Amino acid sequence: MADTATTTNKMTARGVNVFYGEKQAIQNVSIDVDLENVTAFIGPSGCGKSTFLRTLNRMNDTVASARVEGRITLDGEDIYGSAMDVVQLRARVGMVFQKPNPFPKSIYENIAYGPRIHGLASGKADLDQIVEKSLRRAGLWEEVKDRLNDSGTALSGGQQQRLCIGRAIAVEPEVILMDEPCSALDPIATAKIEELILELRGNYAIVIVTHNMQQAARVSQRTAFFHLGRLVEQGPTTEIFTNPRKERTKDYITGRYG
Amino acid sequence: MSEAVLPMSATPVATSRAPTDWNGEAMRRRIALRYAAERRFRLLGLCAVLISAGFLAFLLISMGANGARGFMSTQIKLPVDFPRSPIMIDPAMLSTNPDQVLANANLPQVIESSAQAAFGKDGDDYISSGAVAALRKAIIADPGILTRKVTITVPASAGIDLAAKSDGSEADEAAVVKLEQARALSTGFNGGFLTSSDGTDPTVVGIWGALKGSLLTMAITLALSFPIGVFAALYLEEYAPRNRWTDIIEVSINNLAAVPSIIFGLLGLAIFLNMMHLPRSAPLVGGMTLALMTMPVIVIAGRNAIKAVPPSIRDAALGIGASPIQVVFHHVLPLALPGILTGTIIGMARALGETAPLLMIGMRAFVASPPGGITDPATVLPVQIFLWSDEVGKGFIEKTSAAIIVLLIFLLTMNSIAIYLRNKFEKKW
Ligand SMILES: Nc1ncnc2c1ncn2[C@@H]1O[C@H](COP(=O)(O)OP(=O)(O)OP(=O)(O)O)[C@@H](O)[C@H]1O
Ligand SMILES: [Mg+2]
Repeated sequence: MADTATTTNKMTARGVNVFYGEKQAIQNVSIDVDLENVTAFIGPSGCGKSTFLRTLNRMNDTVASARVEGRITLDGEDIYGSAMDVVQLRARVGMVFQKPNPFPKSIYENIAYGPRIHGLASGKADLDQIVEKSLRRAGLWEEVKDRLNDSGTALSGGQQQRLCIGRAIAVEPEVILMDEPCSALDPIATAKIEELILELRGNYAIVIVTHNMQQAARVSQRTAFFHLGRLVEQGPTTEIFTNPRKERTKDYITGRYG
Repeated sequence: MSEAVLPMSATPVATSRAPTDWNGEAMRRRIALRYAAERRFRLLGLCAVLISAGFLAFLLISMGANGARGFMSTQIKLPVDFPRSPIMIDPAMLSTNPDQVLANANLPQVIESSAQAAFGKDGDDYISSGAVAALRKAIIADPGILTRKVTITVPASAGIDLAAKSDGSEADEAAVVKLEQARALSTGFNGGFLTSSDGTDPTVVGIWGALKGSLLTMAITLALSFPIGVFAALYLEEYAPRNRWTDIIEVSINNLAAVPSIIFGLLGLAIFLNMMHLPRSAPLVGGMTLALMTMPVIVIAGRNAIKAVPPSIRDAALGIGASPIQVVFHHVLPLALPGILTGTIIGMARALGETAPLLMIGMRAFVASPPGGITDPATVLPVQIFLWSDEVGKGFIEKTSAAIIVLLIFLLTMNSIAIYLRNKFEKKW
């Protein structure tokens, strides 16, 4: 197991380019993700944060026009290499999508599905326990514990997003990619998610995309600023926010550029 | 080092426009026009629904009125005096081998003489050829009657049957009056219609042979076209690479769904009968031919249903490490199933009513016994209807209508099952 005292690079990306057809959406991005530090991706809309995030668990494979260049490794292993099993990769690198997308099944099934297909539960009672624990960590348990058999799509938008977070952590991934997980949440639910991120930190490598500068400052230890498909600047969050090296980063953080 | 900022909308919008008057005359007119348009639209829709409902009601009522008579038959109480009749039977043999004994017992003569004795010299014309079967059944049920004089209810001949239902020739009308005076006439439910097969005498024909033929044929059609159609749709949507070959396949399937059914009959004739030498007139070949026709409908409906599954659901499943197969079978297929079943209903309903392709593969033959299996000669309901509607005998008219009712009930049952299944799968989610 990784020793949390020393910084261990869980994932590394080197010289990554992403194309949608002819159009280049990501240009030459290199970045490290480790267990000790939560990494925040910030940047204006359309700059490629989601695109880059999706290269980390190969969700871009599902976009027919998308093409990825460069080298991305998980525990030193090339995730685009032929030895990598993409299905297992996605179980190890979980994802919470920008738009909530619960399965049109019961709340219970939404959480239980992942553990079940990966054989993580040793029985019904064990599965019940995983479901409860995941929902508690996602801050949803108290609201849904009496209606676990209701459809997941009948929840409110914010509840759906927390359900999706619970679903992602139920498979106990090593890396969790969160694409604006709190954009549909109220301040209380947001606080719960941020608590969860702080709690998971150290055991899981976490990447979070956010448009909320305060949130980036609260939960992350490292921040990467994207602009027009390029990684403009990355470094310790405190440094990026208090003393950015690039003018463009400063403009964005101080709100002069939106 | 600040760089050029993105261009902002610099030119100011044209000024000096009067503010919108939301309560003015022009606005009120617009609203009135909108209401009128909505009313017109609703009225048109209502008209369309009423017209189609009217056609349906007309069809059902006229079929029901004609067909109901086809399910009823006129019966005659025929007194038979066995000891005096020309019956040739050995009562001792009856228990060991009744079928053969009765086949040689000269029963038609017994009926003829009994009828002539009871109703005069034309008496045997009043009785249907089905009377022999009734007599045989009565003897087997109680051999003791062979020593007595008994009254047996036998079916009336086609002429008497029609006349009794007030549609016969003058001579038959007179005979009916005579029989009614003798209190020998009765009307009953024609159970034989549902249990026997085609024949030459309209009073004894039945629909069972064609119904069983249709059941077997539909079973073959469903068993072939549903799995092949669903898997083809899944493959084309989920796995096939997008290239010229899949485009060609897609265009071919779409065209296949529009090909006139008789062409499929020719195809079935050429391939299944002439090349593969499968048995003629059999439900197996009929089902295979109809499956060719039904499959493209299921493929097209299936592909549309699969396409309609939101990509976010696929992403969600892939994102927690479901394999492509698991995504398809746990998420895509269950969500697409209601749509696939709708396509199946449409395809199967069309196949059930299809006549032309089955004529090509020889299912128009006169088949007097129900098929024992999928390779026996058989006919199907629509072909049976076609054959009866072509008969000269007047008694076949109501049989045709009755067969149409059976066909419609079959169709309704099949569709109800499919709709029940569809709703069940929709509810599961
Ligand atoms: N499936 C796709 N096909 C083609 N182009 C795409 C696709 N997805 C994204 N893009 C393009 O790639 C660029 C980056 O998009 P991306 O979704 O990564 O932005 P983002 O930084 O996540 O923005 P936001 O903050 O609004 O979510 C955009 O210009 C977008 O138009
Ligand atoms: Mg995004």
